[in-house]
Amino acid sequence: MKRYLIALLLWGISLPLTWAKESEQDSLDVLYERVPAKTFLGAQTTLTNKQLTTTPSTGYLPALTGRLPGFYTQQNRGFRLTNTAANYNVDSFVGNRPIAGQGVPSENTEYDIALRRQAPIVVIDGIQRDIFSIDPENIESITVLKDALSTIALGQRSSRGILLITTKKPVAGKTHISFTAQAGLQEPQSLPTPLPAYQYAYLLNEALTNIGNQPAYLEEQFDLFRSGMDPYGYPDINWYDEVLKHTAPLMRYNLSADGGGKTAQYAIALNYTDQRGLFKESPAVNYNTNSSLKRYILNTNVNINITERFTLGMQIMGRIQDGNEPGVGTQTLLEALKKTPNGAYPIRNANGSWASTSYFKDNVLAMTTNSGYRQDNMKDVMANIDLRYDLGDWIKGLSVKATTNIAVQSLTGIVRERKEPTFRMAVSPTGDTSYNVQATAIAQSNDFNTVFNARYWFGQVSINYDNSLGKHNFHGSVLGDQRRTLFNYDLPAVTTNLTGKLTYDYDGRYLVQGAVNTSGFNRYRPGYQYGIFYAFGLGWDLTEEAFMKGKLSWLDKLKLRGTFGKTGNGVDNSGYYDYRSTFTATDGRIGSGVYSAGTERSELRGYWENAYLPNVRTWESAYKLNVGIDASFFGNKLELVTDVYQDRYFDLLQTRGKSIEMIGINYPFENIGKTTMKGAEFTLSYTNSLGKFTYFASGNLTLEQSKVTFFDEPQQRYPWQQLTGLPVGVRTGYLADGLFQTMEEAANGASTIGYEVQPGDIRYRDLNGDGVINQFDRTLISSTKPLLYYGLTLGFHVKGIECSALIQGVENREIYLGDQAIHGGFLGFGGYEQAYEPILNRWTPETAATATYPRLTIGNSHNYAESSFWIRSGNYFRLKNVQVAYNFPMQLTEKLKLSGLRVFANALNVLTSAAYKGQDPEVPIGAYPLQRVINVGVNVNL
Amino acid sequence: MRTKENIKRYTVFPVIAIGLITAMLSCKKDYEAEPLENVTIEYVFDPNDSLGTNAGNFLNSMYADMFPKSVSRNRIGGNLLDAASDDAIPSNIEENDISKLSKGQYSAYERIESEMIWGDCYKNIRAATIFINNIDVVPVNDSKFDPLPAGLTVKRAWKAEARFLRALAYFELLKRYGGVTLMGERVLQLGEEVELPRNTYEACVDYIVGEMDAIQDSLLAYPVPSPSRNSHRVTKGAAMALKARVLLYAASPLFNGENIDGANPLTGYTSFNAERWARAAEAAKDIIDLQTYSLVNNVKEIFTRQYNEEIIFFKQWGNNKDIENANGPFGFGTQIGGEGRISPTQEFVDAFPMNTGEPIDLSGDYDPNNPYTDRDPRLAINVLYNGAKWLSESLQTFEGGRNKPGGTEMQTVTSYYMRKFMGDFEEATQYSEVQRDYVMFRYTEVVLNYIEALNEYSGPSQPIYDQLKALRMRAGILPGDDGNYGIPTTLSKEQMRALIRNERRLELAFEEHRYWDIRRWKIAEELMNVPLHGMQIIQSAGVLTYNPTEVFEPRFVLGMYFYPIPDSEVLKNTAMKQNPGWD
Repeated sequence: MKRYLIALLLWGISLPLTWAKESEQDSLDVLYERVPAKTFLGAQTTLTNKQLTTTPSTGYLPALTGRLPGFYTQQNRGFRLTNTAANYNVDSFVGNRPIAGQGVPSENTEYDIALRRQAPIVVIDGIQRDIFSIDPENIESITVLKDALSTIALGQRSSRGILLITTKKPVAGKTHISFTAQAGLQEPQSLPTPLPAYQYAYLLNEALTNIGNQPAYLEEQFDLFRSGMDPYGYPDINWYDEVLKHTAPLMRYNLSADGGGKTAQYAIALNYTDQRGLFKESPAVNYNTNSSLKRYILNTNVNINITERFTLGMQIMGRIQDGNEPGVGTQTLLEALKKTPNGAYPIRNANGSWASTSYFKDNVLAMTTNSGYRQDNMKDVMANIDLRYDLGDWIKGLSVKATTNIAVQSLTGIVRERKEPTFRMAVSPTGDTSYNVQATAIAQSNDFNTVFNARYWFGQVSINYDNSLGKHNFHGSVLGDQRRTLFNYDLPAVTTNLTGKLTYDYDGRYLVQGAVNTSGFNRYRPGYQYGIFYAFGLGWDLTEEAFMKGKLSWLDKLKLRGTFGKTGNGVDNSGYYDYRSTFTATDGRIGSGVYSAGTERSELRGYWENAYLPNVRTWESAYKLNVGIDASFFGNKLELVTDVYQDRYFDLLQTRGKSIEMIGINYPFENIGKTTMKGAEFTLSYTNSLGKFTYFASGNLTLEQSKVTFFDEPQQRYPWQQLTGLPVGVRTGYLADGLFQTMEEAANGASTIGYEVQPGDIRYRDLNGDGVINQFDRTLISSTKPLLYYGLTLGFHVKGIECSALIQGVENREIYLGDQAIHGGFLGFGGYEQAYEPILNRWTPETAATATYPRLTIGNSHNYAESSFWIRSGNYFRLKNVQVAYNFPMQLTEKLKLSGLRVFANALNVLTSAAYKGQDPEVPIGAYPLQRVINVGVNVNL
Repeated sequence: MRTKENIKRYTVFPVIAIGLITAMLSCKKDYEAEPLENVTIEYVFDPNDSLGTNAGNFLNSMYADMFPKSVSRNRIGGNLLDAASDDAIPSNIEENDISKLSKGQYSAYERIESEMIWGDCYKNIRAATIFINNIDVVPVNDSKFDPLPAGLTVKRAWKAEARFLRALAYFELLKRYGGVTLMGERVLQLGEEVELPRNTYEACVDYIVGEMDAIQDSLLAYPVPSPSRNSHRVTKGAAMALKARVLLYAASPLFNGENIDGANPLTGYTSFNAERWARAAEAAKDIIDLQTYSLVNNVKEIFTRQYNEEIIFFKQWGNNKDIENANGPFGFGTQIGGEGRISPTQEFVDAFPMNTGEPIDLSGDYDPNNPYTDRDPRLAINVLYNGAKWLSESLQTFEGGRNKPGGTEMQTVTSYYMRKFMGDFEEATQYSEVQRDYVMFRYTEVVLNYIEALNEYSGPSQPIYDQLKALRMRAGILPGDDGNYGIPTTLSKEQMRALIRNERRLELAFEEHRYWDIRRWKIAEELMNVPLHGMQIIQSAGVLTYNPTEVFEPRFVLGMYFYPIPDSEVLKNTAMKQNPGWD
């Protein structure tokens, strides 16, 4: 068997080895330092600038999908949301009343990301900041650190894993200037297909007759819709075509310069990004009402060697970002777009005014083009100073480092929303046309809100010691740091860490590492603020062993490693001083209602007990075990990295099981939950060349499984209702066994309370046999299989031409069709809202055999209860990213006095194949659609 | 090699480093350790505060959260509670909270949050108990407030008001769920035993009545000093009115003698006792004997004139058009408004007698083809029917008329709209704001409570006839030749009962009484298991034809006399017993 395998591998690489590897990593960027790759014991994956810049996007998150094992992303909308809500309420007595404990609105509104199922901490150049809004061109590398030992220095934030971003560092050498300009087109994907108006009318009648009501439309009206002879009374408008453009541009420009001599080196980068949205604009409106994003980044990095022992590094990064949205807000607009039927009203009435009805009072197109705009502006400045002093003269191997960082961020919103009046046109039987106003005009407002203000400060001092005694190598360090954040009106949050690390290796073969950390946070109750966390790791590099050296020519590296540690997750979930029983004065907007006195109704003030019982909460913790193998074969052409892990989380914050309402107040979060996460990650890469033709393939695969081991679940009446022991976040509901087909089946079947099932309704399984479908028939309905996601990058380069492609996919995933506007249709209150193509497959006596949806009704709590009927497979794979680039040869570029010229074209979300075809597998209908981006650019180096 | 220069160099950085370290790690106190805007209980109930400002504000918050939490008549799914009784149905044909109530499409797990207010009531109880336990330390100085009659102090009045609000919360729980857990004077904290059993129905009634007896003399009496500032406060009359209503409910068949679950002490008394009716009658008579309240002559004014002589207790609302906008007839255009959410039924309209006081099925004057002429004047005040004057137009609720055009927009299903609670807009051309309050207890109800209890206890008697005549005279019924306002003089107890129940239906329509009355009289099973009717009016060539049609099919099963205790409460509390029919 072994020989067969070897032969197979040799067949793949039977040619001479003049190879140029993608990137050889001798040292790795890890938290707060750079370590040699040979002695690193943790679980990490690194992406370089070259791999990141093939993705045309405004931030770096889309570039990470499918490239990092253990890192799962799911996109939930295609464009960022603006944040314009004020962070205070207005009290008629006092003025602005701050909202405490609000936290920072996230820069990432498009993706749900998880690193081994935890939300990772983003560390950018050694500073913990959740910055997602950076162009990939400005990033040197991104590393994910997944295990306990590599994250332990974060103390109370170490459970979450780290997404480490390193921007371009100054490099000594000749001055080098690089300019990249790229422009792309974004196209929406997977837009839903609304029903044409005549079909809608017919199906609405069917739904109404099914519930025993009079039909809403007559036969003649179907023909009027179909023929379009009366465009004002019987319109048929596909609002998606009217409101959304087919393409929108995305432009990015980058200018960077670096260089320097022995004493000082610098790296400067400037970036401008301009992304437009898909909403149509009106030529009559001379300001921007489309969604858009404009961002300017300046990053200056200077490194000065003051003496040969003393180094000073300074970095300043500034970001200005302006986001724009139509005045009503993207969410409201997309909701209205989703819900308005084709036949509701024409775009404009006969007299040119905006059309509407008494139920649909706002005109969708008016909301898009004529509702003003809202903007959010973010300004962010970050300054770093690093000092390093080598005390080698004094004690050999000793050095001291100090870092301090100050950042100021401010987010403000401007709301300039307006509304134009809309009218309902009615033609009386005698031919008189009348116009009734439905939505009255609202003048353009001019509101300025401070959404968010923050000051960050971070200071760290570390003492490092490196030494070797023969074959014994030591490295020790002590780090102390403190991080202070000041958000809005809150009191400062101060996190203090003190870490001691020791690394030992014998001859590079046997590796032992250990770290102990004590970490405290000032918002916990005094006396409960500090905790101790620790981690240690063992490694064995087999190929360094004497008995292995040179023995197997095909095995270049085989390193076994394992780490174990206790990490913590606090700080961000600490609540805002809720360990005391407190009362707040209330003005009616916060807390309880305002009351008035006497017949004059003068306003009275109030006092109310705060919403939760007081409780001393502390951080959550985890025991993390990670075992891995790093191996390379055939002269480092084939590389394998495997990690298997088990993380046991405990002290998780949740409400206790016996949270009885009779106590008259809400129960607080207490540290009682326990869950376990297990998984395996594989990365396999192969690089080879045939003469000048180099090709590579790199694949990664991740399996994840979770289990809730304890959550203080009350004893349920039936065993199928118990959820302890099931994966995290499972769905519960009724089990569905298809649809009732005949009257006898319906008469004998069980139904939900107060409802009589008819043929065409969903048949639920009555688990306890009492003839009624109620909470005792609810059980697990989603899959418990481990989540599997993978990515495969293929590429080649020859003679200046470079090509690469990324395929990524997810298996064992499910989608729940919970949006009744799409899958149920006709909802509304006094008017009937839009219906989409899926409901064409509804049950009727004729189509009973092939029906996939229940019979049509107007709102039906039986059919739309949470059940397995609405679960579909969410498996998909995408040709996610493709790039073709050409580097002009030296002879040509020298003639133009350039040191390099490169043209490239790339694309994102090129093709998708999904098990369920009704919607994009990631972005649901009703959210800003997923976009395919096709991008071309040129890069000039001087 | 250590030279002077090297020493300097060696010392430079450590000095800088130590300086930086001390600068960075020295925790200078720039800010306070804990947020000061969140205060502890000593600040709210301050032993040095002779005005009792914060404590008084705490009491204000209790008023604000009193039932109904969000003050509106359309508080369930946008509709009135009585749209789930046989008086009216929702105009919205889609499934919604109110239709789920009338069809019983709810369970212990799927609650109708706006009406099944278990958690909210207990929150109010907790707040009240905190106030009662802590107010004693506050040295409230009476001279700083409006002068009170002798024997009352501000602090005692406040404490009594808090006890009333707590008892009111218990009563809201009692009528919905039967016997509930009485929390007593304890405010529980994390870790204390909360798995408490339910108290019996009897214990709850005794508790509420005991509280009302204890606080009566500490409360302000009607009329309060400076009504412009104090009209909203709990008064002695309010405490007596709550006591009268509790005793009336406790004496009713559902709880007294016809327990739906045999001798289950949680769903009522375990046996019948006629004296309960006597106690109820006496409690109501006490209020009548105060002679401080009286019937308002113009019925329309009861809900639109602030602090009139009929209102005993109310929750502040405001100067608005809320009732008109939600329930006004559809079809007047969106500038004027009116969504017509509630459709009164034909059964309700038929309950109104002729203006002589005779029921329509016994009167020779009733014309089915002209059903609204010469009817009880209260019909026009409660309901808008086809041809009624409204907003200077004649209401058109025939099929295809202006106010019932058909199509998909929400409009009346029965050709009737509700008129009660609205301002005088018959002659106006649009709605304007009306000063309105949510009236919870009023004198008419006290009178009706009295005569119902007295009849049940001792049969028809002169006081009952006198009160009925007073009500009918106020209503505008013609006195008739014998001055009896159409009330027959020789009635049996059963006939008088039917007359009183009908009179109650007409007087207290849409005030959240009918819904509870059909339950406590145990007639919901008959009335809510048959289809309800509306009127289909067809106009052709100027002639109107009236066809009563079935418009709604409610459903009522035995368990629905009580709401289910929330499933989560039963699961988490091993001592909690679920109501019969819901487990």
